[in-house]
Amino acid sequence: MSNILEINNLSLKIGVQDILHDVTVKVPQKGIVSVLGANGVGKTSLMRCVSGIYHATGGEILLDGQDISKLKSHDIVERGVMQAPEGRQIFSTMTVLENLLLGAGALGRQELDHVLTLFPVLKERLKQQAGSMSGGEQQMLCIGRALMHKPKVLLLDEPSLGLAPRLVGFICELVTRIRDEGYSVLLVEQNVKAALRISDKAYVIEHGKIVIEGDAHELMSDKRVADAYLGGHVHEGS
Amino acid sequence: MFDPYFLQQLAIGVSLGMIYALMAIGFTLIFGVLNVVNFAHGEVYTIGAFAGLMAITAFAPPLLVVLFIALAAGAFAGFGLERLAFRPFRRFSDEASLKSRAMREATLMSSLAMSIIAREAMELIFGSQFQSVDLAYLINKPIEIGPITIVNGDLIILGITLLMLAGLQWLLKKSPIGMSIRAVSNNALGAKYCGINTDRTIIFTFIIGSGMGALAGILVGLYYGAIFPAMGFTPGIKAFVAMVMGGLSSIPGAVVSAMILGLAESISTSFMPSVWSDMVAYAFLLATLIFFPQGLFGARRERV
Repeated sequence: MSNILEINNLSLKIGVQDILHDVTVKVPQKGIVSVLGANGVGKTSLMRCVSGIYHATGGEILLDGQDISKLKSHDIVERGVMQAPEGRQIFSTMTVLENLLLGAGALGRQELDHVLTLFPVLKERLKQQAGSMSGGEQQMLCIGRALMHKPKVLLLDEPSLGLAPRLVGFICELVTRIRDEGYSVLLVEQNVKAALRISDKAYVIEHGKIVIEGDAHELMSDKRVADAYLGGHVHEGS
Repeated sequence: MFDPYFLQQLAIGVSLGMIYALMAIGFTLIFGVLNVVNFAHGEVYTIGAFAGLMAITAFAPPLLVVLFIALAAGAFAGFGLERLAFRPFRRFSDEASLKSRAMREATLMSSLAMSIIAREAMELIFGSQFQSVDLAYLINKPIEIGPITIVNGDLIILGITLLMLAGLQWLLKKSPIGMSIRAVSNNALGAKYCGINTDRTIIFTFIIGSGMGALAGILVGLYYGAIFPAMGFTPGIKAFVAMVMGGLSSIPGAVVSAMILGLAESISTSFMPSVWSDMVAYAFLLATLIFFPQGLFGARRERV
């Protein structure tokens, strides 16, 4: 299987701080790959590098074999990498519909019906101010906004953060569903258990370095992962 | 029944308010996207007036063309201003630096510097005294309506401002560039994640805001027949007050505040000597800052 997105030996320094060091992550076509780790280990910085908010100080990011690591954020979106970022970053004083259309860019309303089928809640709230919705609804808007652009690679930064367990289940189901529709997903999560369950491949990041990588299925029963992130409890398959 | 003098002042107040509104929109738009005050906005107004004047003396075009030339000159000045006084300080593009305090303070000084340079340059070129405007272009032909007399300039200013406001509203709500301006105002980082080119959006904001400011300049120049290099200072302050009263980044708030300011100022001459009327704006500013620090209409509404 060919890789749609390849992050090769990426490093990021901000001031004197080493944020990322020699990070390599590969996302296959129509795959879900997750990057796992605790708070403040560089997960979000990695995602920001891919989206061009930060510019890496070393290494490369290949999309379909072309380096995008020097491009500006709007060029990267143009090429088909769209992110549902940390903190959602929705336009809180604009309506839900306006938020979705801003995500769509030149595509306009082309994907609107599709996104509204994925998130029926948003359909009733199109005219509502985005900031007045609940956290879960805002998260759906955030993912929906990214899907409006029909991205080649969808980046999801902590989609489960602050959500009720039932909603975490919904988001997981949704991510598998859009993968089945042909999207490639790079997921960053603290909720290791939920992420491993839906991923094909996973990387564990600590202090800006990838320390463990492998098949998501295998990592579930990996002792190091279990000790550090699953409360020492090894899952027997799933 | 109101006495005619009062009604007369009311008519003047509407025109004054409209001019302040045109100016205040530029301030507000720029504050919305960058969280900075553009201190050179008053000079953009002056540049508009001088551009119109030069067009009149050079080839005496129809009034509409004069206005258009002023608008274009303002837009160009806004573009240059962004390049010279704002862009160089925007070295990083993450949200922390796009609307940071350092950025705010640096551009506050750089825009002030640009305004001084522009004003002094115009003084060197044109001299500091009033420029004479071809009488045929003045928009002060009297029109009698019952007991009061307005001039055709009042109607022209009213018409053009309403047109500009409606156009701006359409632009911000319907056009892609307007949507981008609102998005950057609301959440600059979110706009980047949506693939919005924030640099380009900021340039367009300066172009639109400065064009409207310059239009206000030429309108006032032709209304009073007085065009001089320091003419932008007072309206700049008034528009700034209107922006603060309106809550810093709300266009409807700024427009309503500008109207209140214009009316209050011209009606105040019924009660006190007209030389004191400039004080009204400062009184409003003080009252706003003390009693309504979030602006007269409250905070937490849509930016821009």
